[in-house]
Amino acid sequence: MEEISLKAQQLFNIGSFPITNGLFLTLVVSLLLITFALIFRAKIKMVPGKLQGAVEMGAEALLGLMDSTLGSMASAEKYFPLIATIFIFILCSNLLGIFPGVGSLEFHGVSGEVPLFRSPAADLNFTLAFAIISVIVTNIIGMASVGVFRHLGKFFNFHGPIDFFIGILELISEVAKIISLSFRLFGNVFAGEVLMIIISYLAAYIVPLPFLFLELFVGMIQAFIFATITLVSISLHTTIHEEH
Amino acid sequence: MLLNLARKSSFLLTLKTTFPRFTMNALLDQLGINWRLLLSQAVNFFILLAVLTFFVYKPLIKIIKQRNAKIKEGLDKAEEADVRLKQIDEIGKGKIKEAEQKSIDIIKGTEEKAHALEQNLTRKAEEHQKDLMAQIKKSSERAQEEANKDVLEKAAGLVKKAIIKTVELGPDKIDDALINKAISQIKNEN
Repeated sequence: MEEISLKAQQLFNIGSFPITNGLFLTLVVSLLLITFALIFRAKIKMVPGKLQGAVEMGAEALLGLMDSTLGSMASAEKYFPLIATIFIFILCSNLLGIFPGVGSLEFHGVSGEVPLFRSPAADLNFTLAFAIISVIVTNIIGMASVGVFRHLGKFFNFHGPIDFFIGILELISEVAKIISLSFRLFGNVFAGEVLMIIISYLAAYIVPLPFLFLELFVGMIQAFIFATITLVSISLHTTIHEEH
Repeated sequence: MLLNLARKSSFLLTLKTTFPRFTMNALLDQLGINWRLLLSQAVNFFILLAVLTFFVYKPLIKIIKQRNAKIKEGLDKAEEADVRLKQIDEIGKGKIKEAEQKSIDIIKGTEEKAHALEQNLTRKAEEHQKDLMAQIKKSSERAQEEANKDVLEKAAGLVKKAIIKTVELGPDKIDDALINKAISQIKNEN
């Protein structure tokens, strides 16, 4: 059975910059998505084909969800790129992470024989980066939407001791959000990988199939949860203040 | 407060027992968190966000909006066409009714004119007939007068000739002739 490592293994260095197997698959996913974007841009037309129709269907479903959460189609269209990118990137990373070859192809790197690919979300750097981006960007959106002082007033409220305490709790909750977002995604995907390794070790054929489907489902659900939490966070930062 | 401190210190003690060299750096190292990798993931995300926004989302939303606008325009036009069709239908019905009324009026007018013309023609024909009759009568009267005149003239000539003949014939011959005439008349009567 291959070694289970909590952190992504280093493949090689570019200068002093370490390239891990998690980052390597992230780059592969990025390249695939960029290639898809370029092909899609070249083929986009008024009468959609099958691919464009499927993409439009997904986009309209997400826009509908965002519209119902944010309260207006204008806001939905404004924040659509961020939410859609988070969803697509995490989804593709999770789906590509359970592809045959990921985890089984070995590479002789600086730290010995290590898997060439590792599911990006099974690397805390990936999930933590996304969680930090999510929290920072939603706060920036909040500031842009309701004003810097009004937004910061939510965390630093000096109207009374209770308000001050609630403000501090809000601030802590923002930090906790980073931890919960990153560790939820990491935990689910990493646990899935470990489960797949163990099941494959115990029974190589047929038996891992239900778990593979479970991982597909978990991958989609986790991408959806991450995007939805970011969306709700945007909604809270842009509308709650306005109501008060 | 003291209880909390005691709990906190016992938690730290547990951590130190589990990870003998427990520091923040050690924890981050255990989890594989590296600020350079973290930054590269963030940069990677923003590049992808920019590419997808420029090449996929914006054109996609634009085309969806354009299509929705076209669909809306098409539906509006169809609705407008329906309304216009109804209006045209109503106008057509009105025009047909109007045309029917006009045709009835024209037929009625024509009938009246024809009737008047017929009466006029009949009257003229009658007058013409009367004139003709009068002319015929006049001409027949004139012809009769001329015939009478002619007869009279001829009769006068005959009388004149008869007188001459009578004068020229002897009285015996005249008597015989009268007797023969009378006998032939009696024979004819029987």
